[in-house]
Amino acid sequence: MNGLTSRFRVSPRGFASPLVRFGVPFLALIVALIIGGLILAMAGNNPFEAYRTMFDTSLNGWSAMTRTLALATPLILTGLAAAVAFQMRVYNIGGEGQLYIGAIAGSWAGLALPPATPAVIMLSAMLVCGAIGGALWALLAAIPKAYLNADEIITTLMLNFVALSLMNYLIFGSQSFWRDPKRTVPGGKRLPDAAIMPSLSGRLHIGIIIAVVAAVLLWWLLRKTSWGFQIRTIGDSPSAARYAGMSVRFKTLAVLAVSGGLAAIAGVSEVSGVTKGLEPRSLATDIGFTGIIIAVVARSNPLGVVPVSIFLAAIATSGSTLQSIGIAVEVVFLLQGLIFLTVTAGEFFVMNRLEFVSPEPSGDSIPGDTTDLPAGAT
Amino acid sequence: MTANVSPDTTHLEVRGLTKSFYGVRAIDSVDFDLRGGEIHGLLGENGAGKSTLCSVLSGLYRPDNGSVLLDGEEVQFRSPQESANAGIGMVYQHFRLVDSFTVAQNIVLGLRRDQRPSSMRQVNQLVAELGEEYGLPVDPTAAIWQLSVGEQQRVEILKQLFRGARVLILDEPTAVLAPRETDRLFEAVTTMVERGHAVVLVSHKMAETMAYTNRISVLSRGRNAGSVTTADTSPEEVARMMFGDAAAAVRTSFGASATVGDLVLSVSDLQVMGDKGQVAVDHASLDVRRGEVVGIAGVAGNGQRELQEAIAGLRPITGGTVTIDGTDCTSAGPKETKHAGLAYVPEDRLGVGLSPGLPLGHNLALRSFDRAPHSRRGVLSQSSIDATTDHLVAEFDIRGNRTGMRVSLMSGGNLQKAILARELSEDHEVLLAAAPTRGLDMAAADAVRGHIVDERQNDRGVLVFSEDLDEIIHMSDVVAVMFKGQIVGVFRGDEIDVDEIGLLMTGSDSMHGVEIADLYPTEEEPEVSS
Repeated sequence: MNGLTSRFRVSPRGFASPLVRFGVPFLALIVALIIGGLILAMAGNNPFEAYRTMFDTSLNGWSAMTRTLALATPLILTGLAAAVAFQMRVYNIGGEGQLYIGAIAGSWAGLALPPATPAVIMLSAMLVCGAIGGALWALLAAIPKAYLNADEIITTLMLNFVALSLMNYLIFGSQSFWRDPKRTVPGGKRLPDAAIMPSLSGRLHIGIIIAVVAAVLLWWLLRKTSWGFQIRTIGDSPSAARYAGMSVRFKTLAVLAVSGGLAAIAGVSEVSGVTKGLEPRSLATDIGFTGIIIAVVARSNPLGVVPVSIFLAAIATSGSTLQSIGIAVEVVFLLQGLIFLTVTAGEFFVMNRLEFVSPEPSGDSIPGDTTDLPAGAT
Repeated sequence: MTANVSPDTTHLEVRGLTKSFYGVRAIDSVDFDLRGGEIHGLLGENGAGKSTLCSVLSGLYRPDNGSVLLDGEEVQFRSPQESANAGIGMVYQHFRLVDSFTVAQNIVLGLRRDQRPSSMRQVNQLVAELGEEYGLPVDPTAAIWQLSVGEQQRVEILKQLFRGARVLILDEPTAVLAPRETDRLFEAVTTMVERGHAVVLVSHKMAETMAYTNRISVLSRGRNAGSVTTADTSPEEVARMMFGDAAAAVRTSFGASATVGDLVLSVSDLQVMGDKGQVAVDHASLDVRRGEVVGIAGVAGNGQRELQEAIAGLRPITGGTVTIDGTDCTSAGPKETKHAGLAYVPEDRLGVGLSPGLPLGHNLALRSFDRAPHSRRGVLSQSSIDATTDHLVAEFDIRGNRTGMRVSLMSGGNLQKAILARELSEDHEVLLAAAPTRGLDMAAADAVRGHIVDERQNDRGVLVFSEDLDEIIHMSDVVAVMFKGQIVGVFRGDEIDVDEIGLLMTGSDSMHGVEIADLYPTEEEPEVSS
């Protein structure tokens, strides 16, 4: 009787202590690694060896770290792009397309300015051009959202395909300004040296600094300014925001523009620091979509986006080396998916407290009794 | 099918029914009886217990005490299904239909295989026949979304008849209907009672209750307030039963108003549209002066919310003007009306008045975050917000807050105190408060009323809306009655007459010369007599 009928009760937590807020996702991560390890073991691999290899190739030592950080750079930016929109409960799924537009607009600036332009001016111009391009692209979805309440999930998602086709067309389908006419295999013109982000170490370039500064700046904007106050209010309750005199319409436009701009800067960072020219094949690697996952796992907190991006990048970096020990690359996606699942499920335990209740001796409590509410107060 | 007893013998009796929610008695020792062949009106103010009683009868709630007898036998419904099987059918004000299904599919939805014909063709035919029989014509093969509101209601009624309902409970059935649809509905209801069904008509509207019922029972504050034969009563008597105890409210407990000063809020010939594009506020005019409390009495849904929102700048005004302390606010937004001197306590505490998922401090700064000292050049000062929070928590005795906790976990009374604290602590000349004490316990409600009436002493004006007539009479120096978007009566000080206000609230004829014909669609002479 007592063992079987013991129940647990869920009650909302008023305030989650830092221990809970950081401890729960960490435990969730461990759980994901354990499940992943079990799957590896079932497939006949040694999970310890696999994890060791992954750790060595992605985080152990400076050169491993630079590879990981280089990969994390655009992820931080697209993660921030998704996070800022999610803060207002606007679901920008268009980071991928906005990144392409950023790459197109940024490389245009890099190719159009005289190659002798000083690097500082050149790179600034590329970043500004790219960000404006991405913001305008996001506004294509934001304006219908703000004025006609068109679902931004659909519009931003569809615009990804338009942006991808546009980028492919510029390089593969036309003799555009971006395409290098001298190459037999279609490809982008190489950017002049001044338009290439200086390397910090190996593949790691100054884009990482831009990304981290953007994260701190965005956190400050959201937490410490009246602009962020409004974004958070609208995200929590649009009707309370209207009552307080905030313009939900204008903020929708602003937030999607900022979001698009951030994703576009990821595109500039990639085109300038990695591909060094508009190369559709190398740019279209789902960086924008991964940013959405990062924002969700980081609970839309800009400062959380940085470590989450680095962690996901670490898993991705180690993918190729897994093959050398006979483990399929798919394990990387498996782990990413598992982490996404456990961390979002863990959110429940951050928001709620779980208490175990011993069964009541009398049988007079009717299940569901507590959900009775007065009859709608007529 | 399930109705093996002939409807004529139907006799539903409720004895001493009590149901509490969180220690509050929604209905308290209520008696009620209903016979086949009658339309029984169930009247009462908002929160009088009508819905709770119906929910017990329809098996949604189980009573704490008391019994329900059907044809002399005690019954206990543990689910709506059991109640339906016993022959009690509830037609809710908000329909429970699947939009994409057909009429016939909706009608058999949830019935077991042995409770319905196996082929849909047969169902269609049965539904069509039933509709014809009761004067509820509807195409059984039409999808719900294709039907008008009136037709959808017919489907709901047919659904209950199909299941063999002998007792039909109609919850404010005319609230959603156009006048002509109302007539058709009552024709069908008349047919039903002629065939021996019993009908409970839950209503706020005096005119239709007087016109169509055989008997009327009134609930007030969860208790029986009287039961009469319609032919032997008058609207005045019924209104007195509904609102009678409001007369006992001690008007003078807050003292007479201080010297009444200048006009501080003026609404003139206002016209406002509702969410569905209907006229919600219809040429309404009212004035609030410094040092007085103006109370708006009325049954919920008569345009009060739209009027509040229009004054506060949250809803566009299509005609007339709003002036706040001399400033024309007809086309102003919420920021402008606040700047002009309006403090606004909205009806919806969590969601409009407060942002539920954010902390108390954030919410207390909700209307002043963009100005010094809370922010300078766009940068927030958390220390200023924290200091204001501490100060207001102490001054207004707001309890249950923890740093960083989302405000939605606080109790209703503390939420309302938080809104009042914010609104009253900032510069204002007139307070607009909507349903300020709804859902609060006595102590919290008293504290809130105290804060509101204090405004008068501070030479400010107050406009208060409440569904609780006691409260309105208790607090107000001037009472205005709102019905169907119009201000149908204004009473000052000693003129305040509870009986008359009650009549006006239910749309009855008035001694102030408001033509009933303007307010309510004309009806034929009652065809149902007892």
